[in-house]
Amino acid sequence: MTDNVLLTTTVGSFGKPEYLTKARAQAARKKLGAAELEELERKATAEWIRRQEDIGLDILVDGEMYRGDMVAYFAERLEGFKIGGLVRSYGNRYYHKPVIAGKVARPTPMTVSWFEYAQSLTSKPVKGMLTGPYTLLDWSYNEAYPTRRDAVLALAEIVRDEARDLERAGAKYIQIDEPAIHARPEEIEIAIEAMGIVTAGLSAKTISHICYGDFAAIYPQVLDLPVDQLDLAMANYGYRWLELFDRNPFTKELAIGIVDVHAHETETVDVAAEGIRKGLRYVRPEKLWPHPDCGLKTRTVEECVEKCVAVVEATKVIRKELAKVPA
Amino acid sequence: MTLKTTVIGAYPKIGEGLDGQELRRALHRHDRGEIGDADLDKVFDEVTRSAIGEIESAGIDVTNDAQIRWDDLLSPFTRTWSGVEAGPLERFYDNNTYFRQPVISGPIVTDGKSLVRDYTFARGVAKAQLKATMPGPLTFATLASRDDHFSSIEDRVLAVADATAREIAGLKAAGATMIDIEDPAVVASPKHIELAREAYGRFADPDLAITLVTYFFPADAVLESLASFPVAAVGIDVRSRDTTAFDRLDAFRTQYVLLGVVDARNTRLETADEVARYAERALKLVPQERLVLATTTSLEYLPRDVARAKLAALVAGARLLSGEKVIA
Repeated sequence: MTDNVLLTTTVGSFGKPEYLTKARAQAARKKLGAAELEELERKATAEWIRRQEDIGLDILVDGEMYRGDMVAYFAERLEGFKIGGLVRSYGNRYYHKPVIAGKVARPTPMTVSWFEYAQSLTSKPVKGMLTGPYTLLDWSYNEAYPTRRDAVLALAEIVRDEARDLERAGAKYIQIDEPAIHARPEEIEIAIEAMGIVTAGLSAKTISHICYGDFAAIYPQVLDLPVDQLDLAMANYGYRWLELFDRNPFTKELAIGIVDVHAHETETVDVAAEGIRKGLRYVRPEKLWPHPDCGLKTRTVEECVEKCVAVVEATKVIRKELAKVPA
Repeated sequence: MTLKTTVIGAYPKIGEGLDGQELRRALHRHDRGEIGDADLDKVFDEVTRSAIGEIESAGIDVTNDAQIRWDDLLSPFTRTWSGVEAGPLERFYDNNTYFRQPVISGPIVTDGKSLVRDYTFARGVAKAQLKATMPGPLTFATLASRDDHFSSIEDRVLAVADATAREIAGLKAAGATMIDIEDPAVVASPKHIELAREAYGRFADPDLAITLVTYFFPADAVLESLASFPVAAVGIDVRSRDTTAFDRLDAFRTQYVLLGVVDARNTRLETADEVARYAERALKLVPQERLVLATTTSLEYLPRDVARAKLAALVAGARLLSGEKVIA
């Protein structure tokens, strides 16, 4: 039985179609209204749900057609935040780095209606997608709270409320991304404490995506992060984080990145399949989820599709191999 | 006498509003093939000119070229040095800012002129004193994602130091007298401090004012060791994290101290009074003639309007200390 092993998924974001990129630029210049923009965001979301189904992915995402940045999107909807000026992340890419200027509060749910819309388009499960409290703090300027811990714990209560609303709306999988978790390894306890607040009492499967940083610096402590599944970039690192599992066995489910999202070229199915085989040395197939290393928003729609196809086709190869092995 | 002020590292490449985003547009157009290298170069030069102008009009005494052409601290060298290429994208220390990790495939070779063109251009623009900047050898070497050539970290660090020495010689020949060596790894990886010191010996030059600039992490674990590096000055962040440095600055008996007092990684603005109080604490152990006030690190971690305000706070603090009237 291989249907429920190696469930394929993605990290959350996809490339936006050109009509949406243009519309967002127009909206930023006040030349397009919010309702018109949202209509195009819904169209693009529906296209991505259909593409994911066509590709054969198992656990879907809404593709984040309505988000620019994974922190600014939330900051724009929370009280206490100001939208800061443009700061460069790399090359010619800039983002509005938010400023925590006062006590944070959540006036209304921020992602629930998008989850409901995306889920209404498919019978496959769609993940609820949130940014974790530690990353919300680390990728913002903190002008308001006396310590970083104070700010993270305040944000944890907000993310908790959003996660509970997603669960009430039917989300069976809730992903709370913490890509900044290794920014300051000495603060890992703060991130763990905050995630405990977020996930306490949830019955949905909880997932946390971690990428681009020194994972070794927080391993094995990160195994105490109270989520069911860690979702890790691996291909970009030549799978070297797996070696950490030799000394301290990995104890959670693992979503394993098997294609690099920062390369235009797509890995061959053979190369991607080899990544799954590497993961299987440490994690049982029912606990291993193949996916791309990270969100695909920096890739074109075509590149996103190619990368996802590689993931799905590689998984088929390995499922066949597993089916031949007597249980 | 007013304390001198200086900047560290890169200045924001774009500002707010459409007028301030010329470089961003030009790079997009260059990517699409709509403009050539020469047109892009003109924009780089213009933005360099305006960045230096902003730093100078804030009243900063010693400027740099604002590193407008640099994608990251290492990129000018991964681009020009043989034996090194720009590799995978990685987060730069604890910032949500990324860099290309060096991949080392052979002996590191340079003609020592990687920065000469930009330095010479900035020299023609700057009215204030101008300093050049290089990444530190420990930082460059420890951030490499792969090394297929050198058999040990020691060999790699010293090879980078030798290449750095050639770049410094090239800058000196072009007229540079002051050079910052940005080396956060010295405080991020204190276990390598002796290796770092040996590396600095490869480019020590009594005729140059070389500053070892640390940032991002407290210098507490290595502070006294830094005083024995063959450099004219040491830069220390005393603002952004808790540190014991204020009680130990007398370790620097001959060197200048660049005191990072304005946090370049948080938008909360320091007041002139706060800046002055930091300086006063340092002045208990460092004489005024050897103390320089600085930002904690590159201002590029801030939006440009905030960077400008930070420079104004820095200068106002220095002037307040000297009893000059400060216009808030």
